[in-house]
Amino acid sequence: MDNPEHIRNIAIAAHVDHGKTTLTDNLLAGAGMISDDTAGEQLAMDTEEDEQERGITIDAANVSMTHEYEDTNHLINLIDTPGHVDFGGDVTRAMRAVDGALVVVDAVEGAMPQTETVLRQALREGVKPTLFINKVDRLISELQEGPEEMQERLLDVIRDVNELIRAMTEEMDDIDEDWTVSVEEGTVGFGSALYKWGVSMPSMQRTGMDFGEIIDLEQADKRGELHDRTPLSDVVLDMVCEHFPNPVDAQPRRIPRIWRGDADSEVAESMQFVDEDGEVVMMVTDIGIDPHAGEIAAGRVFSGTLEKGQELYVSGTAGKNRVQSVGIYMGGEREEVERVPAGNIAAVTGLKDAIAGSTVSSVEMTPFESIEHISEPVITKSVEAQNMDDLPKLIETLQQQAKEDPTIQIEINEDTGEHLISGQGELHLEVIGQRIERNQGIPINTGEPIVVFREAPQTESREVEGISPNRHNRFYITVTPLSEDVVDTIQHGEASMDMPELERREALQDAGMDKDTSQNVEHIHGTNVIIDDTKGIQHLNETMELVLEGMEEALNDGPLAAEPVQGSLIRLHDARLHEDAIHRGPAQVIPATRQAIHNALIDAEVRLLEPIQQVRIDVPNDHMGAASGEIQGRRGRVDDMYQEGDLMVVEGVAPVDEMIGFSSDIRSATEGRASWNTENAGFQVMADNLQRETIMEIRERKGMKQELHEAIDYF
Amino acid sequence: MLTFVGLGLYDERSVTVAGRDAIRSADRVVAEFYTSKLAGATLDDLEAYHDTDIEVRDRAGVEQSPGDILDDAADSDVVFLTAGDTMISTTHTDLRLRAHERDVETRVVHGTTAQAAASALTGLQNYRFGKATTLPFERSHAGDALPQSVLDTVDENRQRGLHTLVFLDIDAANDDYMRADEAAARLVEASDDDVLGVVVARAGSPDPVVRADYLSVLAEESFGDPLHLLVVPGDLHLMERDALAALGGAPADALEALVV
Ligand SMILES: Nc1nc2c(ncn2[C@@H]2O[C@H](COP(=O)(O)OP(=O)(O)OP(=O)(O)O)[C@@H](O)[C@H]2O)c(=O)[nH]1
Ligand SMILES: [Mg+2]
Repeated sequence: MDNPEHIRNIAIAAHVDHGKTTLTDNLLAGAGMISDDTAGEQLAMDTEEDEQERGITIDAANVSMTHEYEDTNHLINLIDTPGHVDFGGDVTRAMRAVDGALVVVDAVEGAMPQTETVLRQALREGVKPTLFINKVDRLISELQEGPEEMQERLLDVIRDVNELIRAMTEEMDDIDEDWTVSVEEGTVGFGSALYKWGVSMPSMQRTGMDFGEIIDLEQADKRGELHDRTPLSDVVLDMVCEHFPNPVDAQPRRIPRIWRGDADSEVAESMQFVDEDGEVVMMVTDIGIDPHAGEIAAGRVFSGTLEKGQELYVSGTAGKNRVQSVGIYMGGEREEVERVPAGNIAAVTGLKDAIAGSTVSSVEMTPFESIEHISEPVITKSVEAQNMDDLPKLIETLQQQAKEDPTIQIEINEDTGEHLISGQGELHLEVIGQRIERNQGIPINTGEPIVVFREAPQTESREVEGISPNRHNRFYITVTPLSEDVVDTIQHGEASMDMPELERREALQDAGMDKDTSQNVEHIHGTNVIIDDTKGIQHLNETMELVLEGMEEALNDGPLAAEPVQGSLIRLHDARLHEDAIHRGPAQVIPATRQAIHNALIDAEVRLLEPIQQVRIDVPNDHMGAASGEIQGRRGRVDDMYQEGDLMVVEGVAPVDEMIGFSSDIRSATEGRASWNTENAGFQVMADNLQRETIMEIRERKGMKQELHEAIDYF
Repeated sequence: MLTFVGLGLYDERSVTVAGRDAIRSADRVVAEFYTSKLAGATLDDLEAYHDTDIEVRDRAGVEQSPGDILDDAADSDVVFLTAGDTMISTTHTDLRLRAHERDVETRVVHGTTAQAAASALTGLQNYRFGKATTLPFERSHAGDALPQSVLDTVDENRQRGLHTLVFLDIDAANDDYMRADEAAARLVEASDDDVLGVVVARAGSPDPVVRADYLSVLAEESFGDPLHLLVVPGDLHLMERDALAALGGAPADALEALVV
């Protein structure tokens, strides 16, 4: 732990059920952290009751182990991540803490939608991938494949994965080596996490095993022998030590990618050089609760040395927190130590203000890039305590949930006691609800899940005048839709108000925004950009804060159904302001700009957007019609159908709203023969014939009046 | 007919006779006290003095929904009251224009205003005042520093040798009125420039206070009940110098620096 060159920080990531946790168990057992016999069956890392019950990983888990490689002991900090899309936030956060990602692919299923997603999550963070193809035993015993067929299938998987890596790294100019994986290089491993054997090119050369022999042993059910002769953990842990960068190699490249502060500052330097004597900088990537120690903040130490008693700043909050204990992971257990130097994954208590995503440091500094911008919540559920006595405890629990998982949003309503949780999917909300009841013992009533909507302009508005109540202040604005490229750029955090102006300007121009416009960006709110096109208006600078406040209010609660507005380019062309500050205070300016934005949005034919999902169904040929019918019957669209192995793959998109309850419907429509995946795919304008009806439903639910602005006559 | 009546500076008796007659003969009397107020009279005092009911409106009631006032004014006599003069610092021109749009007749009965008092009580001459400004409470403007425009107004006036009348914010909803000592303190802090200031407290009352000194000194004093206002003098004419010394007790060195 003291020599960063002997540390590897890695994540295991994959499509759901491809065997990440089983593999993690193997590695722990191989390193002597858990008993060899129980590994695989025990799923040591799926510690939560609901994880065991559902057979899936829900929370990313930190574990550590040591491995002897080339006569040196290496410390491997590993994060087992969940595969289900609803918990994708855990994957993104884990990637921030690590330098390497072991991507696991099921040999039978091949690269799946989440494989692509986790690769993207890794590469975006500058995390280097390697590949482990798992469940090879199934090719042999279930599919009865011979050496050639098997080899072909494995090469197919490698080719697919490399195609993804190549496409994603093409534009990354900070990566000068080739990050595609290859058998010859030893960046690909194969094997069976369930039966604990694995091979790679270097290991086969060393042990003299070949595929023929493996097939023979596997078919003869001599898996024990296979495990003894070529244990999975050795092969994978060697691969980890050999091919993943250590912090000293990784940080100089990763820091500029994940931190936008002054590159010439002292902190920047000490982070790049993993300087254990520098200022302390840690990025918290996980908040957990330990029944004894309380709240634990885990994350990557990029610089300095963490010690008990330090007073550290927590980004986004005032004041400092005092470190009560520092620890690292040994196996799956947290172990308190005196100090944790740069390059490690640490577990800290006492950081009471930290949330998953906080930057914690001994000097005030620019925080790390936010990591959650991509996963906007799409579905909401109301939660209410059954007993009055539980009201305060429920609020506390909800706030704790939001702290641990920034991909949920909570809205506390103390008046009605009916709080709202928004998250990534049905399962996400179900798990949260269940944990409140079980772990906290608070009986709750939950409402039906409802999808989250957006509002967005569709055309360019005329110039609209917003007038303050005293009529002395006037604002002239237009609204037009932003291009998709600009919206993407903002969504991925590549252009934000936190970054230096020049960099933001460049990013926006790269996305197609013209030069003048990009120079006049006054504010970015959500995915909306506010441009100040005025010139030399007296007093505007001291009023701007209020102008933006009014605009933000208008954008948070759109004119149709008070849903958030997205993707609008707002231009302030001109303003008339009262001479005296008192007559252009909040009571005047906020309503004026709010009203101007709403009127302009209406003139730009603002419409309601709903979240959509990409759907992929793998199904035997004779159920294909039923499967595609399930998509089409849900206001969905089938985009592609093709054969893959002996199954048909149906791909398409459908609104999230219609996908509620999909699991049970598709099961009965295909007699349980289909497997399917969904993935959130942003928002889409609803058809005109559904606009009014849906808007009125939302308005009714929110207690708004059942009447739209008279100028809304375009759908 | 919609008649705008200024109630004058201090209490129920500050109104002009013409104003009193208009109020007494009105069918409906509406008032607003969010831009200024009569420090020496309550609503009850006013109602008793004029022997009539007065309905008080908040800002939204005047600015956003004046419809009923205008409706009534179309076929009866409505009087709209404010402290001071209805058209000076408390611009109700907008209401008047709305009445005109509807062809409702309007009339203005003046009341004396802080601007007149500032000049009259201090001896600073009316024609030597520049642009006026208001010093807002922190909560009633954006940001937390003093608005730059306030400092700019004072500076521009001073460069041209003109006096600045600084109105002090009132927060009617919370019955909170900025005191001149607080205003003086904030001005010195924000401008880093300790100049001569003149406090006028309770203009129009039987015991108005006028006090002239460096802003830093004023910041440490206290001037009693509201309403207060503050003047930052520009260049001083000899007569003005003598008046500030005699009426406000201004220190000689501060005065001499300003005499041209
Ligand atoms: N035949 C076979 N089954 C395996 C292998 N590895 C894992 N499995 C099985 O696949 C299922 C899923 O394994 P997990 O390890 O929970 O998969 P995971 O990727 O961690 O799943 P999530 O965390 O929920 O995404 C379990 O039933 C395992 O027993 C393997 O190598 N061969
Ligand atoms: Mg798992």
